[in-house]
Amino acid sequence: MGTGTGEVAAFRNVSKSYGRVKAVNGLDLVLRPGETVALLGPNGAGKSSSLDLLLGLREPDSGTVELFGGTPREAITAGRVGAMLQSGGLMSDVKVRELVTLACKVHPKGHAPEEVLTTAGITEIADRRVDKLSGGQEQRVRFALAVAGANDLIVLDEPTTGMDVSVRRQFWAAMRAQADAGRTVLFATHYLEEADSIADRVLVLHKGRLIADGSSAEIKARAGARRIGFELHPSDGRAPDEALLRSLPGTVGLDVSTRTDGVHTVRIRSTDADAGVAALYKAGLYPRGLEVTSLGLEQAFLTITGEQDRTESEEESAR
Amino acid sequence: MTTLIQLEILRTLRNKRYLMFTVLYPALLYVFFISAYGSGGTVAGGVSVKSYFMVSMATFGAVGAVLTGSAQRISLERKSGWTRQLRLTALPGRAYTLGKIAACAVTTLPAIAVVFVIGAIEGVDLTAVQWLGLAAALWLGSFVFAALGVALGYAAQPDAVQPVVMIVYMLMALFGGTWFPVSDSLKTYARFNPVYDYNQLASFIHGQGVAGAAIAALAAFLAVFTAAAAHLYRKDAQQA
Ligand SMILES: Nc1ncnc2c1ncn2[C@@H]1O[C@H](COP(=O)(O)OP(=O)(O)O)[C@@H](O)[C@H]1O
Ligand SMILES: [Mg+2]
Repeated sequence: MGTGTGEVAAFRNVSKSYGRVKAVNGLDLVLRPGETVALLGPNGAGKSSSLDLLLGLREPDSGTVELFGGTPREAITAGRVGAMLQSGGLMSDVKVRELVTLACKVHPKGHAPEEVLTTAGITEIADRRVDKLSGGQEQRVRFALAVAGANDLIVLDEPTTGMDVSVRRQFWAAMRAQADAGRTVLFATHYLEEADSIADRVLVLHKGRLIADGSSAEIKARAGARRIGFELHPSDGRAPDEALLRSLPGTVGLDVSTRTDGVHTVRIRSTDADAGVAALYKAGLYPRGLEVTSLGLEQAFLTITGEQDRTESEEESAR
Repeated sequence: MTTLIQLEILRTLRNKRYLMFTVLYPALLYVFFISAYGSGGTVAGGVSVKSYFMVSMATFGAVGAVLTGSAQRISLERKSGWTRQLRLTALPGRAYTLGKIAACAVTTLPAIAVVFVIGAIEGVDLTAVQWLGLAAALWLGSFVFAALGVALGYAAQPDAVQPVVMIVYMLMALFGGTWFPVSDSLKTYARFNPVYDYNQLASFIHGQGVAGAAIAALAAFLAVFTAAAAHLYRKDAQQA
């Protein structure tokens, strides 16, 4: 990528607060050429704030942000970065084609407008007024602005918000095509599915901290990818033994509650549900209403972020 | 940069509501004033009703076009995030503001011209040089208000910008001689009202010579508004 350092982007101990809210807290991160990176995190995790810092829309309180070895503004003026913001409005009273043409013309390495319209899948709506578009169509126009030139890095903040399923798939294909063309892609998202199917690297952000960085398989394994749920009835013999349940292979989390009639409800988070269930029966337990469900992103977050919160409060009380 | 400026002009001319308000409204008011005050009459100071209100309605239209065109749009586009998106392009920061001012400058021309045409039909009698000089003076004067509009667009919150612009606009008009001549007792203060100075630019067609004081005052206002706009713009860029 011609920077000598082989770094597309680097955050070095970057922090940013809004009043008392630490939106970004000591972020250290390097993006390498050709990576497709998902920035995962619940609402308010600091995804947009981090991307704003990366693009130079905001200045960090401390630490430094580099793009291609220089400042974000230098990278933008050199036409190396394209971005689609979460809160990026569009010009009103103009046609889609006019707006895309503007983006292509002002880009130092701009593509032909017709080509960009095709890439973003908006050729059919090119003559529509920008203010008359649906949410999903608007997102695709924003995407067109992000790919209007030959950028080395493309930054997308929750790009598929407002798209229906089929459009979302088309959009992913367009995103993957950008990655296949050798561009570095960084996108923020809520959807594990998105991170899973597109990204080679997943970053999990929570309360402004980077709490996980790895492939999506690694992240899911860490979260405990599946949940095993069942009931144990007193009439079936053996009472549940928490130590035993905890020792089941793959168990990373355990929750047991008891009803007044003596029925125990057990929930286990497991990285290896198959072995866990087999071991349950081997131990002589009779699980009723057994269910194995895969952990949604929401729960994966809760798991990883919950661990983080626990560590933090332990550190706090240790002081 | 020229692409952005062209597109800004095009979209402004496309916005019919905006054109109605800034071009047709002052023209209708002008016709109304002529019939209300009587087309043969004069206002205080001996200037004819027709030519007095021709000037005051042209400036009214121009100020309105420029204030709403810049302040309102800038504020809305800050809210929508378009200004942020533009900062991710290689365009220099000033391109956006220049585009807005250029679009305003284009719309003030029809606002002035329509009122002038009605004036000519009603019998305002000026030499060709006076017509052109007056049009040029009023057009150039409108840039003062474009700078004010940009400043207001960056200063006011999007929800508040419309009332703020309207109040500023109406107060300046009320005490600036737009609807009735400024009384002698208020003239001492009226110098500090840019709309009053703006109207004074027309004094040469009323045989009162070139209004040097008004030109100086407008130049000072331009400098102040531009500095304020630049300051507010930079502040906004840090928080965007
Ligand atoms: N302009 C702002 N002023 C004050 N607080 C903000 C601002 N922008 C973001 N925040 C706060 O910073 C935190 C991180 O927000 P954000 O980066 O938007 O998260 P995400 O994009 O992951 O949802 C949140 O607590 C949010 O309320
Ligand atoms: Mg966000």
